[in-house]
Amino acid sequence: MARTIKLVAASLLLAIGLPVAAHHSFAIFDHTQTYTLKGTVRSFQWTNPHGYIDLEVADGPPGIERYTVELTSINMLRRAGWKSSDVHEGDEVTAIVAPLLNGQHGGLLLELKVPDGRTLVPPVPAINTFKRTP
Amino acid sequence: MPALNRRLTLAAVAAAVLVVGTVVKAQSAAPPDLTGSWERYRGPAGDPTNPPPESQPPLKADLLAEWQARRAAEREADARGEPIASNYTHCIPDGVPSMMSGPFPFEIVQSTTQINIAQEAYSQVRRIYLSKPQLTLDDIELGFYGRSVGEWHGDTLVVDTIGIKDYVRFRDVPHTPEMRITERFRLVRPDILWDEITIEDPAVLEKPWTVTFAYRRMPDYEIIEYVCEDNREYADDDGVTRLRLLEGSEGP
Repeated sequence: MARTIKLVAASLLLAIGLPVAAHHSFAIFDHTQTYTLKGTVRSFQWTNPHGYIDLEVADGPPGIERYTVELTSINMLRRAGWKSSDVHEGDEVTAIVAPLLNGQHGGLLLELKVPDGRTLVPPVPAINTFKRTP
Repeated sequence: MPALNRRLTLAAVAAAVLVVGTVVKAQSAAPPDLTGSWERYRGPAGDPTNPPPESQPPLKADLLAEWQARRAAEREADARGEPIASNYTHCIPDGVPSMMSGPFPFEIVQSTTQINIAQEAYSQVRRIYLSKPQLTLDDIELGFYGRSVGEWHGDTLVVDTIGIKDYVRFRDVPHTPEMRITERFRLVRPDILWDEITIEDPAVLEKPWTVTFAYRRMPDYEIIEYVCEDNREYADDDGVTRLRLLEGSEGP
């Protein structure tokens, strides 16, 4: 049910289109590939205009030990059903991210699997335009 | 003469009935209540509540060429993955009228003398005075929301705004301090609100520019606070948006 709410919220934002794009550009992130990062949450920052997860990476692309994960606005996360208590320091998580195009170790969160088994989807506008890769 | 008197009396009575009727009608036609939360909305294709598509600003030729060049440069920068930093990068709010364009919801609180519109993003608030005259630019400091006065014309709220500062721009369109914004708010359905925004600025626009936004009512939604508290996205020395990384995750 919660997941359904998230998807509905995301699709509404997608439908509106123009104003979302006008508000914030996601152009610093790669739309052609994703990374899957397994690791430990060092911090979860619940702030605007974006939330952030500091991830210590145990399993991911070679050479990545720490990763800065950007989330959408926490207001959008709230409307999509997220809570600040969904993620904790020390949690073992799996994050799917769209990496920064400049190769630095940061990216945009597209999906997060948390220890209780839930898969949380942030309401990234036009999320389907980010191509998923293994 | 008695006949003339009778006709005059009848005419007076008829006129009185008309006047009283008008007053009663005016009193009974209370303006619609817009109080509540709203969000940008576009219905399915063909929905008559969908406003007309947004038009290009009717800028004067030289300014239009500059505006188009800036838009093209933005698109090219985006394609390179180096988006040009905007006011948002610096936690600077939209102001009027951009704050009416979404995507975040806003809340209208309406009284008989004042209407406040609180936009969730950046916790922006604009105040529309219903029983005060508009001031002149000499009496206003230019700002993000300017000064707004409004009055009900039947079921339409007409709002006049002046006093928007230079870099508070809608769709990146330049303007002068003399820019005047006229908005017409009306319910096109009980839960669908239109804001028809007309921008007049003869020094830069060939003609008034009208853009209409539609919103739907969010019956149970409570606006969430929004403080631009820590934006790790920043503008580098070249004005390009970058992401400040956590210590240890700088990478190559």
